[in-house]
Amino acid sequence: MGLRARDVPRLGMTGMRSRPGRTVLTALGIAIGIAALVAVVGISTSSRADLLAELDQLGTNLLQVRAGQDLFGEAAVLPEEAPGMVRRIGPVERTAAVAQLSAAVRRSDHIDELETGAISMMTAELDLLDTLGATVREGRWLDAGTSHTPTVVLGSTAARRLGITSLTGSPLVWIGDQWFAVIGILDPVPLLANLDSSAFVGAAAAEDLLGWDGKVSTLYVRTPPSSVDDVRSVLAATVNPLAPNEVEVSRPTDALAARSAVDRELTALLLGLGGVALLVGGIGIANVMVISVLERRSEIGVRRAIGATRRHIRVQFLTEAAILASIGGAGGALLGSVVTAGYSRMQEVPFSMPPVAIAGGVGAALGVGLLAGLLPAGRAARLAPAEALRL
Amino acid sequence: MSVVELRDLTKTFDGGVEALRGVDIRIDDGEMVAIVGPSGSGKSTLLQLIGCLDRPTSGEIHLGGRNISRDGDRRLSALRGREIGFVFQQFHLVDALSAVENVALPLLYQSSRRAERHRRAVAALERVGLGHRLHHRPAELSGGERQRVAIARAIVTEPSMILADEPTGNLDTATGAEIIDVFRMLHADGATVVIITHDREIAASMPRVIHLRDGRVEADPADAGPIERSIERSIEQPIEQPIEQEVPDGAACP
Repeated sequence: MGLRARDVPRLGMTGMRSRPGRTVLTALGIAIGIAALVAVVGISTSSRADLLAELDQLGTNLLQVRAGQDLFGEAAVLPEEAPGMVRRIGPVERTAAVAQLSAAVRRSDHIDELETGAISMMTAELDLLDTLGATVREGRWLDAGTSHTPTVVLGSTAARRLGITSLTGSPLVWIGDQWFAVIGILDPVPLLANLDSSAFVGAAAAEDLLGWDGKVSTLYVRTPPSSVDDVRSVLAATVNPLAPNEVEVSRPTDALAARSAVDRELTALLLGLGGVALLVGGIGIANVMVISVLERRSEIGVRRAIGATRRHIRVQFLTEAAILASIGGAGGALLGSVVTAGYSRMQEVPFSMPPVAIAGGVGAALGVGLLAGLLPAGRAARLAPAEALRL
Repeated sequence: MSVVELRDLTKTFDGGVEALRGVDIRIDDGEMVAIVGPSGSGKSTLLQLIGCLDRPTSGEIHLGGRNISRDGDRRLSALRGREIGFVFQQFHLVDALSAVENVALPLLYQSSRRAERHRRAVAALERVGLGHRLHHRPAELSGGERQRVAIARAIVTEPSMILADEPTGNLDTATGAEIIDVFRMLHADGATVVIITHDREIAASMPRVIHLRDGRVEADPADAGPIERSIERSIEQPIEQPIEQEVPDGAACP
């Protein structure tokens, strides 16, 4: 004697069938909450997927060594022997030095020397590309031959600023007081935007043609991932044993990690807001269910009169609340996915929606619905049949 | 054999209203009984107690020979579902459900299969002459049709007793008479029927009329000796006193 399990959902939908409009509005509250939660999770995973891709490309085992400031706040320089010293640190795989030059890069000699277009002139060691994992978009990187000749490789931003979009027509640029041939354009280097707006010449050419004194300003050091910390701890003292405090050692990906930490805080905040929306949605369901129980007193009375037990009534109203919330949850999950898809399209990051977010969203909605249904269902079940029928 | 036996039944509501003050009634299998009385005389309370919708304050209720006065909710619910069919003045159909779904409802709580429920509900509707209105919603039916649906719902479980509380109270005279005819038909087929009514004509046409006043049985032909009863029946004058004229206001119970 009792209800068949398969009849329960049908029973739970009786109320919705009589008031579909109210069902939609009630479910909407939950839907907004779940949509917010799902979208926040989706957007943050999508951004993180993008971040991870960036991290993968760059590698977390790249260290950057720069000359900092001396005790008096003057710009310090790295000793000339620094690159050699660093190379002698056991685990270091590769290292490449760059030096900032004072010369300006111009499209032609008619352009004023002060119009640098914020392009840094750099001299680079031949290993730079491999050390950074950077790639050439067009043309080629400097080599033993070209590093002696007036040739230059442009970072992606620098090339754009100079108006050189391709190497067809063998473009030339004016550096110092002579023409340099552009032999290559780089792809953007992730996380090292300053290199994108630089132009690179070989060491020999820099010394011969641009008056470089041989002092490097920055070193890039690639280590095995396992010994990043070890190398990092000895880098400053190795580079400048006399004044290790004048050396700045950093890891470019740390900035990224910091950014992701900030993202995480924001995500937590948004999740909290979504949770509040869900709570409000749940209260909405409880509210509507309480009203529904009052309105349906006579239905409850009749059901009791024709054989429904208290438990049957409780099950009916709990099911109704659960179905309401599940409709909201499913709608919300869909809405949240659509929002995430829109975001990833707009931000050009890969769309990523963890299935657990969808499952969790619908599950949370179901939980909230059951919780919200407890009180009204209990009231409905406690209603004495004779009293329920007395109108 | 008695279907219902009430022994010194009292019911006092919270707040001290004494709806029933010691009622003894015995209703036999296959009887058709009208319960009449002025508003507040305890008619509806009596019917609800017989129908296990409420519990007495004191006294005993025996249904089918068993004392159910102290039974728990589960047991009473099962009893209501199987042994008793209710018909109400306000029909009390579920608006969201079609006629056949409404009629099938009692079977829902008895684990019967959906196809089986449907079959029996259709049969019950056909029995009350509504075989052509199976899929109409209550809002699409006339008052008389709604009450027929309610009667079909009451008989779908083949209960041992049908209890009707003012079944014609919301209907015009002609429709009311038709509904009473349905009850008569069920009675003729062997059902035990108990009807509360305000309608003197309807009451007058019943084989047995129990008068209630102030929570007590004022007159019940069954209390008289068998000879008197048969005399009463033979002269077709079952009502000894005219029924009080009163407003059928639906709030007849305390």
